Amino acid sequence: MAETTDRRAVEVVVTGTVQGVGFRPFVARTAAEYDLDGRVRNTDRGVVVRFEGAPDAVSAAVDRLRSDPPPLASVDAVTASDREPTGDGGFDIDRSTADEERTTLVPPDTGLCPACRDDIRDPDSRFAGYWATSCVDCGPRFAVTEALPYDRERTAMAAFPLCEDCKRAYEDPTDRRFHAQTVACPTCGPTLSLRDADGTERATGTAALDRLATRLRAGEIVGIKGTGGAHLSCLATDPEAVERLRERTGRPAKPFAVMAPSPAAVERFASVSEAEAETLTDQRRPITVLDGNGATWLDAVAPGLHTVGVMLPYSGLHHLLFGRLDAPLVMTSANPPGRPMCTTNDALLDLDCIDAALVHDRRIVARCDDSVVRHVDGERRFLRRSRGWVPERLPNPVDAGATVLAVGGRSDVTVAVADGSSVVPSQHVGAVDDPATAAFLREATDHLLSLCGTDPDVVAHDHHPGFRTTDVADDLAGESHGVYHHHAHAAALLGEHERERAVVVAADGTGYGPDGVVRGGEVLDATLSDSGRVGGLSEFRLPGGEAAVERPARILAALFDEERAVAAVARDPEITLDAAATIHEQAASGLNSPPTSSAGRFLDAVSALLGCCHERRYRGEPALRLEALAARGDPIDVEPPVERRGGERVLVVDEAMTLIADLAADRPARDVAATAQRLLADGLATVAIRTARERDRSAVGFTGGVAYNDAITRRFRERVEAAGHTFLGHRDVPPGDGGLAYGQAVAASARLSD
Amino acid sequence: MTDRTVTLAHGAGTERTRELLADLVVDRFGDAPADPAGVGLAALDDGAVLPTDDGAVVITTDSHVVDPPSFPGGDVGRLAACGTINDLAAMGATDPLGLSSAVVVEAGTPVDRVDAYLDSMAAVCDRVGCPVRTGDTKVVRDGEVDEVVVTTTGVARIERGAHLPAAGLSPGDRLVVSGPVGDHGVALLAAREDFEFASPLTSDVAPVAHLVAAAREVGRVTAATDPTRGGFATAVNELADAADLGLVVEERAVPVADATAGAAEVLGIDPLTVACEGRIVLGVAPEDAERVRDRLRDEPGGADARIVGRAVADHPGEVVLDTGVGERYLPVPTGETLPRIC
Ligand SMILES: [Fe+3]
Ligand SMILES: [Mg+2]
Ligand SMILES: [Zn+2]
Ligand SMILES: [Zn+2]
Repeated sequence: MAETTDRRAVEVVVTGTVQGVGFRPFVARTAAEYDLDGRVRNTDRGVVVRFEGAPDAVSAAVDRLRSDPPPLASVDAVTASDREPTGDGGFDIDRSTADEERTTLVPPDTGLCPACRDDIRDPDSRFAGYWATSCVDCGPRFAVTEALPYDRERTAMAAFPLCEDCKRAYEDPTDRRFHAQTVACPTCGPTLSLRDADGTERATGTAALDRLATRLRAGEIVGIKGTGGAHLSCLATDPEAVERLRERTGRPAKPFAVMAPSPAAVERFASVSEAEAETLTDQRRPITVLDGNGATWLDAVAPGLHTVGVMLPYSGLHHLLFGRLDAPLVMTSANPPGRPMCTTNDALLDLDCIDAALVHDRRIVARCDDSVVRHVDGERRFLRRSRGWVPERLPNPVDAGATVLAVGGRSDVTVAVADGSSVVPSQHVGAVDDPATAAFLREATDHLLSLCGTDPDVVAHDHHPGFRTTDVADDLAGESHGVYHHHAHAAALLGEHERERAVVVAADGTGYGPDGVVRGGEVLDATLSDSGRVGGLSEFRLPGGEAAVERPARILAALFDEERAVAAVARDPEITLDAAATIHEQAASGLNSPPTSSAGRFLDAVSALLGCCHERRYRGEPALRLEALAARGDPIDVEPPVERRGGERVLVVDEAMTLIADLAADRPARDVAATAQRLLADGLATVAIRTARERDRSAVGFTGGVAYNDAITRRFRERVEAAGHTFLGHRDVPPGDGGLAYGQAVAASARLSD
Repeated sequence: MTDRTVTLAHGAGTERTRELLADLVVDRFGDAPADPAGVGLAALDDGAVLPTDDGAVVITTDSHVVDPPSFPGGDVGRLAACGTINDLAAMGATDPLGLSSAVVVEAGTPVDRVDAYLDSMAAVCDRVGCPVRTGDTKVVRDGEVDEVVVTTTGVARIERGAHLPAAGLSPGDRLVVSGPVGDHGVALLAAREDFEFASPLTSDVAPVAHLVAAAREVGRVTAATDPTRGGFATAVNELADAADLGLVVEERAVPVADATAGAAEVLGIDPLTVACEGRIVLGVAPEDAERVRDRLRDEPGGADARIVGRAVADHPGEVVLDTGVGERYLPVPTGETLPRIC
């Protein structure tokens, strides 16, 4: 027993994201460093620490908890209160009970931490050159975990019993690998293997990485199995290799993500703001969509766009690869056409498009695609919230007293579980339109429900009669609950801001409305539980239905008089003058020409009008190319044609398009593109602001896929703020359909408690 | 009691039609036949099979309204005869005894027109050897129908158990289609809206009894259906549903005539989702599929017969379209043209 004189004891409560992130070992290491006694345990109040020792050391250690938490932790508050010193020696980590573990989810997957990075580069470390090292601060989690509590035997690492050295580290409270469930080394952990496309093994271990680098350098296309899935990779700076990849995968135009060796390497081909640099280097390593700087190879990687999606290496494998190959690589998800990403060696080796594959023997439990973000109007927005963020909780403003499972829409589907005052969204599932993706939807749902330890009472789904996710919902629970598409978008925005009501503009491509009309340019007076359209875009027809989505020039047939319409539609090189005339008649007759108020379709039509894009080869292409064109132009001042029609305020789409077409006659296309975007932003802002004033709503929000457009979002926010309203934009939930499930969960919860 | 009204979507031969039938008809008349060799109304098959002591009687009925009543390649008379003869054929009854025909005529319709429709009907009946045995004629006021409504009922005798149920497919069976799909639907839409296309469009309306008979001569046919309302997409979904197994259809193998494909592209219509009136979709044992296809090709109306897909144990009740670059579900058209993609 130590002397208690000259000793100080405190009890410290630390709140925030402090469980399942290596916080207790960090506290134990801190205690050891300052020579303190005491204990640490997880409670439902947060992490509770007792420090006892030299008064200066105690203060310094408490400061340390605040200033230097583990990378995955996020500390909200550190509260210390003095206690009587007891003189008890030693420092204990109390094991948490299974009950306590329930309040924590499995942590997300993250990139390698700096300490582990040093380990693999240190020739004297037992982890030197080892691709799958990790510690309590980093590595795979969600993607390898089957069920809770989060212990090694319920992860894919169960197949790799710890060697003596790893076991010692695992049991040593002062070691960074103390209780790190995914700890592994070259002696006991999973192994890499480089195979030819026919499966022949060429090399293993570090030699496999050498071969991989050589083959990439030679221009080959290689499949790389990673943490939660697999990538197709080739040299990004070799347009011939990139073209080959496009041809073999049938992805003629889709922008590919690039992985660059270092932040400095990124600066050589893209412009990076301070905020973007922070996102890029975040340990969770999202793909960050940056403005390219015109480097010649970028056009093969992201044809016709001014942006490029970039990420930095995240797994040990990536770091080791870039130690051998100092060039940016294409890293696009490896999947058979129209199917989810490969998660097994066999599936990857089955792909026709690869010359070789780097595989390993660690099983992927949960497929988890890379997350994608873009800084829009200076704020980070998720295009895809997946690896690194799943399965973190988001707020649910209303606790329904029931578990709600939400299944999303059709494209960019995620599912979400609302349980109590939080919602847990799943990883990216994809477009649910084929049996393989439908099967993944069920897997992802089962996995998420098992991690949350709950079963759904109610399933929330989109009202569109043709969405497969709704069929899945019907199979999953007795009670199902439809949420209209744009209400789900609005509820998502209100939900993450924990607000009850706002005027919300939901601008996107397609959403089934309460009147059966395909909507997408909606100004809504929205609460968490309900919303009504008060205005937005006027209705116009989509001649040919989905054909008008695929070939947006068709939309122009419905917006102009005959002469102008025929000429505009026939500018599409695939549409003859005769066909254009028929499409114009079709629009007039209404045959197979559903009405819509979609802002996405408006932008697509402008893109076709300006000759910028005539065919949608991937989702959003026409509007993205229009944005790229507009980024080089300056908007011309025009007044958006807004008028009252049948109780609504609408931006009159045919008049707006005529105005744009008149401008296009003698102004540069890039300026007209910028003008069209501004006109849309102004039109929607005008309707929203007038509505907010009339109905006395303080906040005005912007959601939907159009909210990824930088210029439109910026202009809309500026207008809203200039009018004295609070602007609401998304921070943690994707504005696009990846955020629908969260919004459905929030909306259904609110409605159930009404 | 309900205040719902019947909408046009309920008649489009799609999911909505099925819902309406389930509500109003199947509940009332859908009791399963006592004899397992029979096919009742609840099967929603092309017709009913009524077992008798020495065999079975097949019976089917259809009302034919078409806008316009006369169209490139046929008219309502030809359609009325073919529709019923083909429904019998789709049940495996390829040698019908005869038809009944009930005609409702709008006052003011020129007699010559009615005469022409009945001529067309007679021509088909002669060719198939299936005379009209009985009939009825009614006249209603101007505007109560559009020119004529023709209701035909067909009767045939078959051997007991020799019928072709929609539910007859087994995993591995191949799907054979007797010719290009969508010709009737696209030709009719164009005629109705007066759209002009570079290549003329013609309905495929024709009897298919001889095709079914020829196929059964050379191979084991396990199921048959004629892709009328809702087109090929609806027909194959019905087969998958009835047999509770999955179907995989190779999009590139499904024959579509150039003129139809061109017009359909201009209008944004999927030829797989609009009516055929002279085609048959057969389920065939795998080892016989090529022989059946080749035999069909020797028959009038079968020159473009193709093997287009196969039955699988996966995804029961669902049809998957292999597009050559990927897979997607081929749903039953909803009767509303709602884009899903965004
Ligand atoms: Fe949307
Ligand atoms: Mg029929
Ligand atoms: Zn680490
Ligand atoms: Zn080890």
